[in-house]
Amino acid sequence: MWTFALARLAGILLLGLCAGLLIEPIWLWILGAACLYLAWQLLNLYRVDRWLRLRSQIDPPGIGGIWGDIIAQVIRLHRRKQYHKQRLVQLYRELRRSTAALPDGVIILSTQREIVWFNRQAARLLGLRRPVDVGLRIDNLIRAPEFARYLHGDDYSMPLVIRPPVQIDMFLALQMVPYGGGQSLLLVRDVTRQMRLEAMRKDFVANASHELRTPLTVISGYLDTLADDPSIDPAWGGPIKDMRAQAQRMNAIIADLLELSRLESADGEAAREPIDVPHMLERLHRDALISADRPRHVLLDLESSDGLYGTAHEIESAFTNLLVNALKYTQPEGTVRMRWWTDEEGAYFSVIDSGIGIPAEHIPRLTERFYRVDAGRSRGQGGSGLGLAIVKHALQRHGGWLDVQSTEGKGSTFTCHFPQQRIWKLQLRNAASA
Amino acid sequence: METADLTHHISRRFNEDLEKVRNQVLQMGGFVEQQLHKAITALVEGDSRLGESVATDDYKVNGMELSIDEECSRILAIRAPAAGDLRVIVAIIKTITDLERIGDEGEKIGYIASRLATMERPADKYREVKHLGRQVAQMVHDALDAFARMDSQAALKTAQEDKMVDEEYESIQRQCITFMMEDPRTIRRALEIMWIVRALERIGDHAKNICEYVIYMVHGKDIRHSSLEDVAKQIDAAHALMRR
Repeated sequence: MWTFALARLAGILLLGLCAGLLIEPIWLWILGAACLYLAWQLLNLYRVDRWLRLRSQIDPPGIGGIWGDIIAQVIRLHRRKQYHKQRLVQLYRELRRSTAALPDGVIILSTQREIVWFNRQAARLLGLRRPVDVGLRIDNLIRAPEFARYLHGDDYSMPLVIRPPVQIDMFLALQMVPYGGGQSLLLVRDVTRQMRLEAMRKDFVANASHELRTPLTVISGYLDTLADDPSIDPAWGGPIKDMRAQAQRMNAIIADLLELSRLESADGEAAREPIDVPHMLERLHRDALISADRPRHVLLDLESSDGLYGTAHEIESAFTNLLVNALKYTQPEGTVRMRWWTDEEGAYFSVIDSGIGIPAEHIPRLTERFYRVDAGRSRGQGGSGLGLAIVKHALQRHGGWLDVQSTEGKGSTFTCHFPQQRIWKLQLRNAASA
Repeated sequence: METADLTHHISRRFNEDLEKVRNQVLQMGGFVEQQLHKAITALVEGDSRLGESVATDDYKVNGMELSIDEECSRILAIRAPAAGDLRVIVAIIKTITDLERIGDEGEKIGYIASRLATMERPADKYREVKHLGRQVAQMVHDALDAFARMDSQAALKTAQEDKMVDEEYESIQRQCITFMMEDPRTIRRALEIMWIVRALERIGDHAKNICEYVIYMVHGKDIRHSSLEDVAKQIDAAHALMRR
């Protein structure tokens, strides 16, 4: 194509030269030929330019040669672009349709936590409006203080359950999912049903335990009387003793169930009453020492005189449960050591025993209700199976957690971790008592 | 004026300051809303501990008001804003006063609710009061939404709801009087209920005030003490102008 164009130019110039040879002057003829050629090309250029501008209205100019080639290429490029664009638009539409059909609400947030996009479900659940709400900060519209804390915190591992601003009978679970470039997705799910079921379960446990209590009191009352009655045949002595022990166990289980359901239904964090932990531990230690079948060594290491801010009876029931467990599972010649200490990060309470230990595979499930490492053994020991669940819930309410280390045959260490802001500092205590 | 207008300043710091203080107002609003919800729940469910917690948490609202106030004075002193920005600051200063009052009324409700929890509850379990409480809480919520969206039409609509709250207040008042005449033993409780209903009615008024500040912020028109019908006409005209 290009050689043809060059040949044509050469031909025109040659024609000019020939004409110049016949009729002088030569240069005028050559110049004239060049000008003609230039004018022709300019005309072509003008037509192409006009076509590019008004492409949608007029047909491409019918010129051949290099211009025709260029026009064909432009048309090809344009078609390809059009095709890609259509595919993208189609893909985008499908994406939008599928997210709109999602049963959960989806909101896309920018780095500044501004709303970029949301689907219909999100709009319905949270009362968002299109297009006014695009560009607004999400915490300006969902103003629950917990949500602001969740949004500006950095722990998005768990969803946050709030009551939505539009219908306060509902419960919504909100979960942030950060992704590339600092943007994030906010997933909104309606969990009203789950929350209701959960509430029903809690109520059921609490009510059932409460209702069982009264008949049980009557039964153990009569058993107590029967045990002391001299007119009863001594052959009944053994059975009555067993019945009394079992009734006492049932009482303990019900007490634990009630305690657990109380811990569960108390919402939010525990109160912040100052607790004198060293004093409490000394008392627990004394009680442990006077109990009959205890291991030979029961020790208390108080390495800190700080206390905690919390609810005293919850902390005491957590500590007691850990201590009672350790005493139960340690041989008479073993050692149980309690330790209380603090550092910059928090406060810790450990119960270290030289007992039988717990196989590693059971450790993650220890705090489940009624979970038994060895069914036969712990029933024999007479526990309710709820002790560690109570410990876990009590610690959770104080922002703490339970850590369990154990080696089979050598002993276990249960450590309660408390966050730093729960520590009641020594200086403050002195000031308070002064 | 749109929200985007808050971000048109050459000085980026000024924008950030304005945005920050606006966010603080809405956060304060969120807390006040929660207080109100808790107070009403405490009354309806007879939860004295919840009621007390509302009363003791009111100091947080006061703290927020102080810090926002200070921030506003700082912006006024350093940036000397004009026109729309000045209106935003003025509206914020007024809004937080009303929010703080709403917090105070909520505190009052929480306190009375915790006292009522020890008394015998009526058969209807405060159904009317609960209904009024929801209505008022929704009004506060809508007013704050209008503030967040700078939506003068929603603000106007919310302001008009105050009339319904007033009517509801009147009807509960009459009901209480009937109770007191029928059985003098209920007088004590009915008087306490009157306090609560009165507080709710006041909260409705404060929510209405916030709506008026939103309209002032958006259109620069002070609509206090003028009839809402006139205001509606003016706002419609302004919107027609903006659209053109």
